[in-house]
Amino acid sequence: MENYQQLKEWREEKIKSVSSDHYELNRFHDVLMKKIVQIALKEVESEWGKPPTHFAFFVMGSAGRSEQSVWSDQDHGIVYDGENVTFKDYFLKVGEEITKGFAVTGYEKCDGNVMASNPYWCKSTLQWEKQILEWLDEADWEALRYFSTFFDSRVLVGDANILLNLKQVAFSKLAEIPSLYQRLYENVGYIKKGLGIFGQLLPEEKGTDAGTINIKQTIFFPYVNSLRLLALLEKIPEASTLERFQRLSEEYKTIKKYQADFLKLLNYRLYFQKETVSYQKVHLLQVKSMSSREKASLKELIKNGRKLFKETKEIIDQRCSR
Amino acid sequence: MDPIFLMNNVWIIICFTLVLLMQGGFILLEAGSTRMKNAGHIAGKTIFTVGAASLVFWAVGYGFIYGESIGIVGFSDFFYGDFTSVVDGLAGSVDFIFQLAFAAIALTIAFGGFAERGKLSAYVVFAILFSAFVYPVVAHWIWGDGWLGGLGKQDFAGSTVVHLTGAMAALAATIILKPRIGKYNKDGSANDLAGHNQVYTALGVLILWVGWFGFNGGSTLEVDGAFFGYVALTTQLAAAAGAVAAMFIVWAVSGKADIPTTLNGALAGLVAITASTAFVAPWAAVIIGLVAGFIVYFSMKLFDRSKIDDPIFALSVHGIAGIWGTLSTGFFATPELAAMNGGLPGLLYGGGLTQLGVQTLGVVASGLYAFIASYIILKIMDKVMGGIRVTEEEEIIGLDLSEHGSYGYPESMPEEKKQGA
Repeated sequence: MENYQQLKEWREEKIKSVSSDHYELNRFHDVLMKKIVQIALKEVESEWGKPPTHFAFFVMGSAGRSEQSVWSDQDHGIVYDGENVTFKDYFLKVGEEITKGFAVTGYEKCDGNVMASNPYWCKSTLQWEKQILEWLDEADWEALRYFSTFFDSRVLVGDANILLNLKQVAFSKLAEIPSLYQRLYENVGYIKKGLGIFGQLLPEEKGTDAGTINIKQTIFFPYVNSLRLLALLEKIPEASTLERFQRLSEEYKTIKKYQADFLKLLNYRLYFQKETVSYQKVHLLQVKSMSSREKASLKELIKNGRKLFKETKEIIDQRCSR
Repeated sequence: MDPIFLMNNVWIIICFTLVLLMQGGFILLEAGSTRMKNAGHIAGKTIFTVGAASLVFWAVGYGFIYGESIGIVGFSDFFYGDFTSVVDGLAGSVDFIFQLAFAAIALTIAFGGFAERGKLSAYVVFAILFSAFVYPVVAHWIWGDGWLGGLGKQDFAGSTVVHLTGAMAALAATIILKPRIGKYNKDGSANDLAGHNQVYTALGVLILWVGWFGFNGGSTLEVDGAFFGYVALTTQLAAAAGAVAAMFIVWAVSGKADIPTTLNGALAGLVAITASTAFVAPWAAVIIGLVAGFIVYFSMKLFDRSKIDDPIFALSVHGIAGIWGTLSTGFFATPELAAMNGGLPGLLYGGGLTQLGVQTLGVVASGLYAFIASYIILKIMDKVMGGIRVTEEEEIIGLDLSEHGSYGYPESMPEEKKQGA
């Protein structure tokens, strides 16, 4: 049987060959992450026996959206059926083992502790349902942040229907209180500025990151956040931004035209980050090394992301005022 | 007693207190712009240097500036003081104390270049030498019976005399002291060693702004005709324009409406209008302030890129804006105001290039003198005193502790590590 160290070596060996294609890269991450989870499950099984009930291990964040770059951090959780207290202990153990495996294999631990090793992200179906309703009832800034994080989720190992049912709980609650859609866009309303009034790019001015633009905060977020909001509005359970684009009906013609921009952005990021050696630097684009054509198209992507977010808010406002 | 004489004296004493209070503005401005571990030092040394500057000004400074000219300096009236003499329509003592406050301001500006790394002993020695041999020479040239004043150089309240002189000494100091630890990375990029309290810095700027009405308004030296009101008007307009321009330009270029830059814009407007306040129309005061606000931003960036670490932005605010303010009368001085306050009208009023030429000469000569003299003094100090910069360890633990033995914010500092088992 393989171990984490071998997987790490395999990753290092293979990742270069898939790092220039968004789809290939994310398929590779999936294969790798699944292997890690299998090893972790075996590990726990050897000591604690077989899983006591149905469960699903899901990934969130960029992994959930199948938008991982060469480097990414961990965001994941577990949902299991049944209320027996020993279940929680078992799956927390699984969560811990997975977290360890991910870390060894090159997925940095999540700063915010959004990991299945944390009891907050490892719950029974009933507890998760309660949690989702609590987030949406509370509807303060932190609760909606957690909810958005949770919603960008996808089952990697286990029963996909368990997660799907949880998302349905959220859809019904949102349909009851449409003003929540507005609260959700306010929750992600800060977009780091990328362009100045003269249309110039605004890279960092000081420090070791001087001359770079944070592609995640400045460019990615408006696209990802807009499509999450629209997915919630249209009850689309898929997590990937591209799939969300595709699942929108023809009614959303004006939104769909941004799909090409987003795909371009995904490839663009890979193109510029091939040489990046760590997660800390993976979101930073060196502006100086870009040609004027590349800069022009980056500016276009920044502008369109902002427009997309604005149009999304308008759609939600219209819907909610009906 | 002649009531006008009496009122003139009362006015100038009030202005003296306003200018002295500007030191409070500098204390807050400098402390806010630097890090916590140096706050007590930065604040406290200002009180000390005002003391040193006052004693030196009394002993020799005033005499070198306003004594009988022997060419490069004046040379009489040392250890000044009596209660009978009358100078410029003021009691001699009133004139003296008002001029003393200006000398102390120039010194405080110069010490901006020492911030967060100069040894306390270097402050002591340079306070004496600058107050005796740098500031008085430039002040004599322009305000005493010196050659630049003779050429009709316009510097109403001291854009050149006080601000540029102080800034050139700060430049010499910052070059010799070299950048603070951590300011520049190995690859040459600059880090932002952010000041610890923007509220202090903003309050410091406001106190300076208020004090400036004593600085500029008092430079009328009289209340007759209430011309100080006009001076206050142009001063206020330039400061306002400087603040607005700086916030706009930093927002437009960097996307961030940066607070320190905005504050520096207000100060740059004030520094620039200091020379020209009595010579220009209100609209020109607005332009002078706007330009000052713009150039202070680009100047801050330029120094940063040139690896000249200027923690309190003295070079940009007092140096570059001081140069611009001095040159500005060469463009904007109106014929009426020039006739009233000295020199010739500026380029825009058909005065030709003469006044601009005199202003340029004044900036170059004064700037060069202040820089070279300060540089030589500091270099000699550096040799004789075994360096004018604190050691690496002292800089890292902070000058509060290394130079004074206690922190300005003791509760916010890391506990001393327990030694031994």
